[in-house]
Amino acid sequence: MSKRKTALSEDDLIRALRNKEKIGAEALYDMYSSSLYGIIYRIVQHDEIAEDLLQETFVKIWNSFALFDPAKGRLFTWMANVARNLSIDKLRSKDFRNNAKNQDIENTVNFIDETNSTALNPDTLGVKELMQRLKPEQKSILDLVYFRGYTHAEVAEELGIPLGTVKTRLRMAIITLRKFFS
Amino acid sequence: MEDIQAYIESGILELYAAGDLSPAEKRDVEAMISRHPELKAELAEIEQGLEEYAAAYAIAPSVNLRRQVIDSLLSAEENPEEPEALNDSVAEIRSAPSYKYAFAACLTLLLVSLGALFVLYSRLQQSNQQIAVLQAGNQQFSNRVNNMDQQLKQHQHALSVLRNPQVKLIKLSGTKQSPESSMMLAFNPASKEVMIDMSAMKVPANDAGHQYQLWAMVKGKPVDLGVFDMKADDQGMKKMKAIAEAEAFAVTLEPRGGSLNPSMEHMMLLGVI
Repeated sequence: MSKRKTALSEDDLIRALRNKEKIGAEALYDMYSSSLYGIIYRIVQHDEIAEDLLQETFVKIWNSFALFDPAKGRLFTWMANVARNLSIDKLRSKDFRNNAKNQDIENTVNFIDETNSTALNPDTLGVKELMQRLKPEQKSILDLVYFRGYTHAEVAEELGIPLGTVKTRLRMAIITLRKFFS
Repeated sequence: MEDIQAYIESGILELYAAGDLSPAEKRDVEAMISRHPELKAELAEIEQGLEEYAAAYAIAPSVNLRRQVIDSLLSAEENPEEPEALNDSVAEIRSAPSYKYAFAACLTLLLVSLGALFVLYSRLQQSNQQIAVLQAGNQQFSNRVNNMDQQLKQHQHALSVLRNPQVKLIKLSGTKQSPESSMMLAFNPASKEVMIDMSAMKVPANDAGHQYQLWAMVKGKPVDLGVFDMKADDQGMKKMKAIAEAEAFAVTLEPRGGSLNPSMEHMMLLGVI
């Protein structure tokens, strides 16, 4: 079966989702399921639970789309928050907490490297280059905040560094990303 | 504008895009970007950078999930659900399970109940003790009443005898053998009743081997009227055997059970009518 992926511009997608059109659902899934699944999986670290959460995330996005306000930011930022919040709630409800947060930063890095080989998005190139550009300490903070949903206070505690340093490194990491992808 | 540049360089937009601000801070940023389109544009670029990053680290879910998810979204249109209020702050996290508080409440309740139980138990013990004391007192009281009742009856009887005009009161005086002794005797010739007053008796106590015996002297011959013991606590009148007439009454000390004939050498009391 040929995989036909639907893609829409941000504005078109927003309109389709507002009108609950079938093409909106398809585009939404095709464009963002892997990105969202990456966030979800990195938090809960469990296949079945992550898949359930992915479905839950899409259902929530679809049903509460009226609450999305384009004036406040891009669609993906909002969706990533939904995914992250659902995953963290799941994590705390099942008392995964100790296992997840005590995972070493090194392990997180290795883990991401391993999964890359099976799930590398062919549309994105030069991930290894990105790794070289991004300093390890910046990357670890970025991953903790953006993928794992740590607050910067929790990151400071986890890594044993001052709060200000967390914020600075996060900013530098994102600036590096911007330059790399622009 | 200087303000805008400083704002951009503060890095707050990056934090906003990464979802790392408090609800109050988020509202501030949203206010800023709504007022300044340049900030909105800057934010959009930051967000795109993060999106690309997320895409680089995307993980593809299993293939069958696509149909399942899309179908569930579209079928939701046939059964529309209420949109939930979205909470886009990572900082708001559900608190610890409430059963911890329920457990603490139960434990407190149990301890309070045990405390109350202990207090009630000791009060019950006190009450029981009080009841026992009252019962003992009650018992003593009723014993006294019984005693007094008995004494009263004896006195009433004695009085009725003594008041009877047909009754002759005879005093028996001590003989040589027992000069200090005395006794009162009530003789009713009409009813042939002879009674001796135990309370007014002054004779030495007899031992277990002996008893006092009362005699009536009838036409010079002694007639047995019965035996009695000298009891210190006896208040009443003892009824002896019947006799119609007598000239005198005497008391001798005999072996227990009495004798057929009086031991004259052991005569203790004598009273002549």
